[in-house]
Amino acid sequence: MPATKIKAANSSPTKLSWDTWAVLAAFLAALLIRIGVVKHVPW
Amino acid sequence: MSETFAIPQASPAHEVQVQQAQPGLQFLRVLPGIILLAAIGYAGKLLELNVGKYAKAHHWIFPNIEYVLWAILLGLAISNTVGIPAIFRAGVATYEFWLKVGIVLLGARFLLGDVLKLGSVSLALVAIEITGAIAFMTLLGRLFHLKPKLTTLLAVGSAVCGVSAIIATQGAIDADEEDSSFAIAAILALGALALFTFPLIGHALHLSDHAYGLWAGLAVDNTAEASAAGALYSDAAGKLAVLAKTTRNAMIGFVVLGYAIYWGSQGQAKSVKNKAAFLWQKFPKFVLGFLLISVLATYGFFNKDQIGALGNLSRWAFLLTFAGVGLRTNFREMRKQGLRPFAVGAIGEVVIAVFTLVLVIAAQKFAGW
Repeated sequence: MPATKIKAANSSPTKLSWDTWAVLAAFLAALLIRIGVVKHVPW
Repeated sequence: MSETFAIPQASPAHEVQVQQAQPGLQFLRVLPGIILLAAIGYAGKLLELNVGKYAKAHHWIFPNIEYVLWAILLGLAISNTVGIPAIFRAGVATYEFWLKVGIVLLGARFLLGDVLKLGSVSLALVAIEITGAIAFMTLLGRLFHLKPKLTTLLAVGSAVCGVSAIIATQGAIDADEEDSSFAIAAILALGALALFTFPLIGHALHLSDHAYGLWAGLAVDNTAEASAAGALYSDAAGKLAVLAKTTRNAMIGFVVLGYAIYWGSQGQAKSVKNKAAFLWQKFPKFVLGFLLISVLATYGFFNKDQIGALGNLSRWAFLLTFAGVGLRTNFREMRKQGLRPFAVGAIGEVVIAVFTLVLVIAAQKFAGW
């Protein structure tokens, strides 16, 4: 097997996938911006 | 669904199990790699700002290279020279996580009407692309006498969404890890080539941002490379590429289900008992997140400044992703995978790229973009 594999094994169906964690993280960030905790994000 | 992040490396493979039961330990394990992604991404941004200025001050003729390309080039340089030290690998593998965070946040920059309008155009093109790509890759696999399941993996990878689709299909049809590894290497190698060839072709053909973005989203297989190929052309093209690719990603469950039923009927995979549960399990949840943020932005949940902040946060997430795209691409390792799967993948990708380009140009004339 040539690739380094990092397995986030979800042995239990109740555990959240990385996909879902990404959505939750994005919504948390959106909420923090919406309620004014984060006022400005520079670029 | 178990998720696997693959980083091709020069050294023999290791399997690192990230235990979800120990979030503190997991965070410490990924932190160095995330810092590396951020450092490379930020270095790309600094290079974009300063190299042009420096060249201008010294009266040199130097093309304006955007941060996207700098971040990818820096990552490629590290991966293909010194390699990625073990301490960084788990964190570097999170680039797919940042990609999905970036896509969800990008939803704030799309009004729902635009998503539905562009999404419906994309959906029609995606349906044609998926059907054509699967049929052509299956035919090629037979012509080159590849193993049937390897052909299935290559067909799914090139028709739907690259590495994620291959991993989802591998589990569903009980394919060998080795076949999956071949298919992933072929898709990643061709994605890396697309990063450099697509913008050149787009500029040579004077494609609009709209047409180019759709083309990149339809033809480049892996979501990270499709987003990067779009962003390398322009910001607007990057947005369109993400939208088209997200539409393609939404189809993953249906295609994997079709193959699971087929291989199950051949007695070479477990049969699917609950099709609705299977579809939900395979459906990429970030597509729903993207749509929900777009709905919230459309109905005024965020003000203009907040939408700007969400857009910038999305750019930062993509910056980490682009650094990861470069870091996980190791040409030496890809060469070891063998020529035949790569040849099938390469022929298929060229045909799919030409086919989708014709589709997009025809749709452009039809829709009058």
